[in-house]
Amino acid sequence: MNHLVTAESAVEPTRHHEIEQFLYHEAALLDDFEMEAWLELVSEDVELKVPIRRDRGPGSDASPFSDETYYLRNDYDMLRERVDKLSKEYAWSENPRSRIRHHIGNVRVTEPTEDEYEVRNNQLVYRSQGDTADHKLLSAERKSSLEAVDGTYRITDRTVYLDHSILSTKNVTLPLL
Amino acid sequence: MGVSMSKTGSGSEHVDDLVAKTADALEDGKYPLSITHDEAIYQAERERIFSNMWCFVGHVSEFEEPGDYARRYIGEDPFIIVRDERGELHAFLDLCLHRGAQFCTAESGNTSHFRCPYHGWTYKNDGTLQGAPHMREAYCDLDTDDVTLEEATLESYQGLLFARMAEEGPSLEEYLGEFTWYLDVLFGLTEGGMTVVGEPHRWESDHDWKTSSESFAGDSYHVLTTHQAGLETSLGKGPWSRIEDFPDASYLACTDKHSGGYYLLDDAETFMGYPEAVTENLDPDLSEAQRDLAGRSVFHVGTVFPNMSYIHGIQSAGWGGPWLGIRVWQPRGPGKVEVINWWLVPEELADDEEFKHESHRGWESLSPGGAFEADDLVVWNGITDSCKSTMIDRRETLGNMQLGLDGMSEGVETVDDPVHGPAEVTTKGLYFDERHSRVWYGAWQSAMEEYRGDPR
Repeated sequence: MNHLVTAESAVEPTRHHEIEQFLYHEAALLDDFEMEAWLELVSEDVELKVPIRRDRGPGSDASPFSDETYYLRNDYDMLRERVDKLSKEYAWSENPRSRIRHHIGNVRVTEPTEDEYEVRNNQLVYRSQGDTADHKLLSAERKSSLEAVDGTYRITDRTVYLDHSILSTKNVTLPLL
Repeated sequence: MGVSMSKTGSGSEHVDDLVAKTADALEDGKYPLSITHDEAIYQAERERIFSNMWCFVGHVSEFEEPGDYARRYIGEDPFIIVRDERGELHAFLDLCLHRGAQFCTAESGNTSHFRCPYHGWTYKNDGTLQGAPHMREAYCDLDTDDVTLEEATLESYQGLLFARMAEEGPSLEEYLGEFTWYLDVLFGLTEGGMTVVGEPHRWESDHDWKTSSESFAGDSYHVLTTHQAGLETSLGKGPWSRIEDFPDASYLACTDKHSGGYYLLDDAETFMGYPEAVTENLDPDLSEAQRDLAGRSVFHVGTVFPNMSYIHGIQSAGWGGPWLGIRVWQPRGPGKVEVINWWLVPEELADDEEFKHESHRGWESLSPGGAFEADDLVVWNGITDSCKSTMIDRRETLGNMQLGLDGMSEGVETVDDPVHGPAEVTTKGLYFDERHSRVWYGAWQSAMEEYRGDPR
């Protein structure tokens, strides 16, 4: 993977700032469980993927991420249903709701085609749930495709590349991504 | 009570006391909740159960080429499952015979040799010593025939690989017993058999391995509460929508140690929603009754004692197609487990991307990211936390698994029909019969008693 943003592919500072602000806004919605509002940021042809990180032997030239198996590979309809489910009383995975905090950084933006932006960011997501001092951290690089529409952005594609080959969280719910 | 009887005691007296109490409680369909999370019990389980039982370590399709290996665990003992250059599969303890160092630094890969990172002793992938640095001058008088990696007995059934650390014991087929009849249907459905796709989900959870292993053995009763959110949003698509009454469609089959439950329709061409690639390539070795069971099946769930579970069927959360998931509840210390969750498809559909896309959706729903399991894990973690209690030890508090006992539950009756195979099968069993729990804890109790004198 080439992470270098060259002068030709980098976007204007104003655009970069705008997209960063979009990511912060989105993260705040996830932290606050404003899932309906979050869903409005998502395009109806989106695919949200969390591939399994493999742990292959030394010398293996295989990608560190599986292209066949995912913790989560959801289209818009599935996301819609997940958001509905999270609002139910019996959704024990997030009842009580986790205390979630996204820390987002290293934002890199390119514009491969006009009005479509490829955005990478690193993130550390803090999660604590229930009456306990314990917490878990999910570290990841996130790759998103954004399209500019009506003065804002829509997420058209998203992959969360976890830095965990064995997950330390008992479950992975939408607000953690 | 003496010190050795307490929750924090480590003596075998404390363990044997709880094992004896389990035998007593089982007579009433109960079990001491205290065994759920107890340091001494856990260590005894490693010595008595995981050292003696056949434990699932993988699927043959993961090891197709010579040199293919994966690190798997039996209890907490690290093993390397590997296919050697001659095509034989082995389960070697990941431990160099020089000073006990470890070879494996990855979960899986391909290698012809295992080279110890400490002093360089190098073994072929059949476990024999190949050499060491400056072999001729350093080891003038070493009997290299004596230096062969410690190996567990490895056997397979319908592609399922099991290993046993104990040198003596029943064969795998004897151990699986009558449950092989159901494994034939679930894992030997087609001529090509099942094949693993991609990499398994792996995650850690703060719950005891027993809780989930026993739940998967046949508990659909919890679905009504634990998964109510899932039911409200999404159940009832595909063959599930043709089930008029869930308890009525459910059955529970238990052998001496292993249990599984399933939902059936009357329609003998249901085949868990599989397409023609499956129904046209059914394994001719299946008996008529086994074919009928497969044909009427919507969904199966079960556990091979001690810690392998499976789900096979059409997706239950509304999304996706038929899928087969195998999982291991890998103990990682008292009250802690690593879950490994494999996805398998019939070989005949292994290149059918459209099928696999749908099947993955099903598999994914029973994973840490899935709509269903995410809720189970929260409940199981709570069980493990509360069962650390010293009060339940003092008061000898018993858990209840009396559903389906004589006179307890309406409609739970033994059914006698070849389609249900050789095990004892009850109607409404997956919902209102906790026989799977009684069988599971019965198997646990027997093994804990039988191997109590097992040398460390």
